[in-house]
Amino acid sequence: MKRIPRMTAAALMLALLLSLAGCGSADGKTHLTFQIWDVAQRASMEAICDAYTAQHPDVAIEVQVTSWDEYWTKLEAAAESNTMPDIFWMHTNQILYYADFGMLADVTDLYDDVEPGYYQNHFSEISIGNASGSDGRMYGVPKDKDNIVLVYNKEMFDAAGVPYPDADWTWDDLTEASQKIYDATGKYGYMAYNEDHLGYWNFVYQAGGCILTEDKTRAGFDQPATRRAMDFYLGMQKNDWCPDQTYFAETQPGVAFFSEIGSMYLEGNWELMNKSTSYPNMTGKWDITYLPKCPDPASGDGRATMSNGLCYSTAAHGKRLDTVLDVLKFFGTEEAQNIASSYGAAISAYIGTEQPYFDAFEKAGYDLNLQVIEDQFDYSVQCVNNSARPKWKSPVLDELTKAYNGQSDLDTVLDNMQTIVDEATAAALSK
Amino acid sequence: MKNKLSAAARREENWGWIMVAPTIIGLSILNLWPFVQTIYTSFCEHLGFGHYRFIGLKNYVDMFSNTEFWKATWNTVFFCILTVPVGVALALLVAILLNAKVKFKDGFRTIFFLPLVCAPAAVAMVWRWIFNGEYGILNQILGQNIQWITSSKTAIIAVAIVSVWSSIGYDAVLLLAGLQNIPKTLYEANSIDGAGKVRQFFTITLPMVSPTMFSVLIMRLMASMKVYDLIYMMADNTNPALGDLQSLMYLFYRSSFIAGDRGYGSAIVIWTVGLILLVTLIQFWGQKKWVTYDI
Repeated sequence: MKRIPRMTAAALMLALLLSLAGCGSADGKTHLTFQIWDVAQRASMEAICDAYTAQHPDVAIEVQVTSWDEYWTKLEAAAESNTMPDIFWMHTNQILYYADFGMLADVTDLYDDVEPGYYQNHFSEISIGNASGSDGRMYGVPKDKDNIVLVYNKEMFDAAGVPYPDADWTWDDLTEASQKIYDATGKYGYMAYNEDHLGYWNFVYQAGGCILTEDKTRAGFDQPATRRAMDFYLGMQKNDWCPDQTYFAETQPGVAFFSEIGSMYLEGNWELMNKSTSYPNMTGKWDITYLPKCPDPASGDGRATMSNGLCYSTAAHGKRLDTVLDVLKFFGTEEAQNIASSYGAAISAYIGTEQPYFDAFEKAGYDLNLQVIEDQFDYSVQCVNNSARPKWKSPVLDELTKAYNGQSDLDTVLDNMQTIVDEATAAALSK
Repeated sequence: MKNKLSAAARREENWGWIMVAPTIIGLSILNLWPFVQTIYTSFCEHLGFGHYRFIGLKNYVDMFSNTEFWKATWNTVFFCILTVPVGVALALLVAILLNAKVKFKDGFRTIFFLPLVCAPAAVAMVWRWIFNGEYGILNQILGQNIQWITSSKTAIIAVAIVSVWSSIGYDAVLLLAGLQNIPKTLYEANSIDGAGKVRQFFTITLPMVSPTMFSVLIMRLMASMKVYDLIYMMADNTNPALGDLQSLMYLFYRSSFIAGDRGYGSAIVIWTVGLILLVTLIQFWGQKKWVTYDI
C-alpha cells in the first residue's frame, strides 16, 4: 500500500520536470514575441509572421495583443527592466520619448546592403517622420499610414433631404446638416466629443492653427486660429443636435453611430474594416467622405486631416537582436507590406502597397468611397508629437474636461493647456 | 535570565526562525523593500524609464498645494463614509438572516457570496451598463434620466453601491462564522430571563460578535481607502465627473503610470499610507470602548 503514494509522487515529479522542459525551446527554434494593441490587426500581423517563418523555419513568432490603455503601462515597465517584447508596435505619441531615451534599436542602416536610401525611396516623408527620433535617425520600420475621415449615415441624410457631404463641404455645412437631420429625424448630427487625434486636432489645422509649433518646442493654443477652432469644436456640444460630454463618457460616438443614434462622426481609416464586419446590418447604410473644410482659415485652404503611422520597433539591447532585426527587415519589404494591406485593416506604408487595402473592401462586399482616403493624403498633416507628449497628453485632456463640464471657461483652459505643454516640453528638452 | 536558554530551547528557537523564514523573506522582498523604495521615490523626480533624480520635498510641496489632490483625499474619505458603515451593517444583517432557520439557506449563502467569486473587472462592466444614463436598466426601472456615472453628484454614490454590493458576501461569511461561535446556551438563559429578540441582539449577539466585526471593519476601511479598480473600470478618462470621483489611489495611478510622474505618485501613496495608519490607530484605540473579548 505504501508504494502507491510514492509512485504517484514520482510520476508527478516526472510530469513536472517534463512541463519545465517545455518552457525551454525544446524544439530548437528561436521564439520571438510580437506585441500589438489592435485585436482587429492580429490576423494580418500573424500573416506576415507566417510569411517570415515559412522562409526561416528556425524562428517562431507569437503575436500578443494588449489593450491600448494597458499597452503603454506594460511597455514602459518592461523597458525599465529590459524585458521588452522582441518586436512591438510604436506610436507617434510615444516614439520620441522612447527613442530619445535610447530604448529603441536604431534601424536607419537596416537596408544599406539591399538598397541605399531604401526608406526615402519607398516611404513618404510623413511615414519616415513618424518613425524617426528627435535626432533624425530611424527607430522603427514604417508599418502603415492613415488619416481621418468623416463617417455619415446615408439614410438619415435622405430622411432629412440633405445632400450627402462632399469635398466642398465646410464647417457651416456640417452644422447646418446636423440641425436639419436633428429636426427631421430626432437623431443626433455630428458628434463632437473630447478627443484630440480623432477630434479637435483636425479642426485646428483646418483653421490654420496648430497644436505644436513647427519646431515642436511650444504649443499653439495661444494662436487666434487655434483658439477659434477650439471654440467652434467645443461649441458644437451646445447645440441640441450634439450630445454633451456626459453622454460620450458612457457611449462612444462610434457605438452611437452604428446604433443609428447619431448621423456623423470622425473615424480613422484603420477602423473601417473592423466596423464593417462588426456591424453587418449597417452595410450600405453608411459611407465615408472628406473632412469638412474651414470656411475662412487664417492660412492654408481650410483642408486638413491628421495622418499618423505606426512602425515596428525593437529594444536597443534585446537578447535576440540579430534575429529580430532580420524579421523587422522583412516586415519593411514590399512583400510583407502587401500582405499586411490585404487584410483591409491598415494601409501599409510602403509606397505601392496601398491597393490590397482597397481590394479587401471590394472582396468583402463593402462599398465605401475609399478614394477619399487616398485623396486626403495629399494635404494631410503629420500627427502631433514631441518628446514630452506622454507627459502632457493626460494633463491636457484633464484641463479640457474642465471646459466641457463648465468648471472653467475655454479661454482659461486654453491658457492652461498652453502652459502645460510648454512647461513639459521645456523640461523634456533640458534633460 | 535573559539569554540563558537551554541548548534544547535554543535549538527550538532556531527551528522557529527557519520555519518563518520563507514568509519573512517573501515579505521583505515583495512588500518591505518596495515600501522603502516608494518612500525614496517620493523625494525624486522621474526622468523616464526608471531613472530618478533627488529633488527633496518638492513632490510633497506640489501635492499639498494642489486642489485636485485635496479633492481626491476628500473623495476617498467620503467614499469610506458611504461604504463602510452601510456595508458592515448590511453584512451583519445578512449574516444574522443566514444564521436563522430559513429554507434554502445554503442557496442564499451562495448567492450572497457570488459577487466575491466574480472578477472585479466583470462586475464593474456589468454595473456600468446597469448605470448607463441612456440605456441602463436602472433608469428604465426608475423611469428617470439620471447620469449615474458621468454626473458629478451621483458618480461616487454609484461606485459606492457597487463596492458595497460586492463586499457584503465576504463580510457576511466572516460575521456568520463569528455568530456561529456564540454558545446557544447564552440565548437560552437569556430567553428564560424573559428577553425579546431585539434585546437579545443588543445584549448577546452584538457584544459576542464584536471582535469579528472589528476585524471586518478594519479590513473594509482599508479596502475602501485603497479603492482603485472599481473607479478605473467604471470611469473613462474623458468622464467629466472624474474630478469628483477619483480616489487617492486612482490619482496615484494616473500620476505614476499615465503621466509618468512616479515621484509625485509615490508621494500620494505615502500620504495614503499615513492616512490609513492614522485611521487604524484611532480604531484600535476606540475598540476598547466597544469590542468585547471576554464574557
